Amino acid sequence: MSEMWINMGPQHPMTHGLWNLRVRIDGEMIRDVDPEIGYLHRGIEKISEDRHYNEVITLMDRCCYVAGFAWEHLYILAAEQALHVTPPERAEYLRTMSDELQRIASHLMWYAAFVQDLGLMSPFLYGMRDRDLVLDLLQDYTGARMTYEYMRVGGVRSDLPAGFTDRARKVLDWLSDRFHEYDQLCLGSAIFRKRCDGLGVLRANDAVAHGVTGPMLRSAGLKRDLRKDRPYAAYDRLEFDVALADGADVTARYLVRMEELRQSVRIVRQVLDWLDRHPGPSVADRLPRWLGAPYAPIGNEGYLLKRSYPKGIGFSSVEEPHGEAQAYVVNDGGEHPYRVKFRSPVFANISAARQYLVGYHVADIPPIMGSVDVCVGEVDR
Amino acid sequence: MQPDDLANALRPKLGPRLRAVEPFEGTAGRVRFDRTAALDLFRAVRDDLGFGHLSMVAGIDWVDRREVVYVVWSDAARQYAILSTDLPADDAHVESASPVWPSANWHEREAWEMVDIGFDHHPDIRHLLMPDGYAFHPLLRSFKLHEPEELEVKARHV
Repeated sequence: MSEMWINMGPQHPMTHGLWNLRVRIDGEMIRDVDPEIGYLHRGIEKISEDRHYNEVITLMDRCCYVAGFAWEHLYILAAEQALHVTPPERAEYLRTMSDELQRIASHLMWYAAFVQDLGLMSPFLYGMRDRDLVLDLLQDYTGARMTYEYMRVGGVRSDLPAGFTDRARKVLDWLSDRFHEYDQLCLGSAIFRKRCDGLGVLRANDAVAHGVTGPMLRSAGLKRDLRKDRPYAAYDRLEFDVALADGADVTARYLVRMEELRQSVRIVRQVLDWLDRHPGPSVADRLPRWLGAPYAPIGNEGYLLKRSYPKGIGFSSVEEPHGEAQAYVVNDGGEHPYRVKFRSPVFANISAARQYLVGYHVADIPPIMGSVDVCVGEVDR
Repeated sequence: MQPDDLANALRPKLGPRLRAVEPFEGTAGRVRFDRTAALDLFRAVRDDLGFGHLSMVAGIDWVDRREVVYVVWSDAARQYAILSTDLPADDAHVESASPVWPSANWHEREAWEMVDIGFDHHPDIRHLLMPDGYAFHPLLRSFKLHEPEELEVKARHV
């Protein structure tokens, strides 16, 4: 049969965002793929060169619209290294809690969208219902559900409102009772198993060579999690396990993400206990004044003076819900970052698409790409 | 792994083409090398030192020169290392890392279109984020925001 190229995207239910998967097919068989990105490119790295350090945080929330906190944290860690600022311990715990709540929200969003792609409608409703509870918590202490702008160079914007930890514990209790229901809905469903088992296999060697990270890598049995390997924030003081599976297929990625949900709940519980016992400042006390308040109080002419800072380069990496994200921030002494470079985990995971798509059928593309958990905002930046 | 370990392992292979190994907080070190040593260094770093994972390639425009930064990770050492080389601004090209780390492919495409750095023997160099036929390199310092450029965008698949 003659081969041909078809476009899946940019508007296709499988893509979950604006990107295009060009597929060369022979009948129903996939012979080659060529992912095409850039539809959502906003030039975040370029805009960052025109902003003050704290003003970049606004852009970070827009980088990944399901994991804004992870990207804020990533940028903040690099900026703090470049500017030689150290946050107080309580801020580190608050950031850790934000990261993990965000991971729960992101994985639930993935669960809802992924299982719906397979034709199972009710898990979508349950996933979105429970994600909403987590978003309510985030709104409780940041005021926003998607674009938080909560972290600051040197700390966080505000501390927790009264009674937050108790409300959070209630949500966590509710969530941890739901996980086995998710598993029953999916792993107990013959449709789910038939559409997922043995598909999209990506072994650890190929995954490493092609830069794949995160749940996709751990589902191939390689134990790599930056929260353990290169602990940042408060992760070295918390107990949790790295979720692992060894199938390297779509089902294995499902198992890894489900286990990560349980581990995230475990982490947040520990952080809440710590926060209850250790009141204290959530912003560093020896902070350049402009870093504490990104906008100048009226009448403060000093804000407009040309400033200079000791030069530095910041490099950070965090375990984002999708994988390893990295930031490289160059501070040349001016008031704006000289260069900001972000590494998106999904960018690398998509670039390896040829490795886990070729040889399968066209109908396998939605479950396989669903298991990658694509967020186009951070791919294109 | 410390900067000295990197230097001791790489010096015999590269000689003076290894410019310096500096400490860099949070990583095994920052290796500065001459661009003629690129492939030799990549192979040594991957095969001898175990940095099997290339995470990122970043291009930086310093106006008088361009810099390429590679971030690599070793599963054995549980550490990052940063490799960096300087290129003259009027002749900015370096050997592609794709034969050593396949993951370099897209990162180098991005560095080429954003900062105008040529990657020799790259398997598939073409636009990644920008439309085909886009004539500018947006992350160069000479590309100013607030000055919309005349732009002719060709359809992607005509």
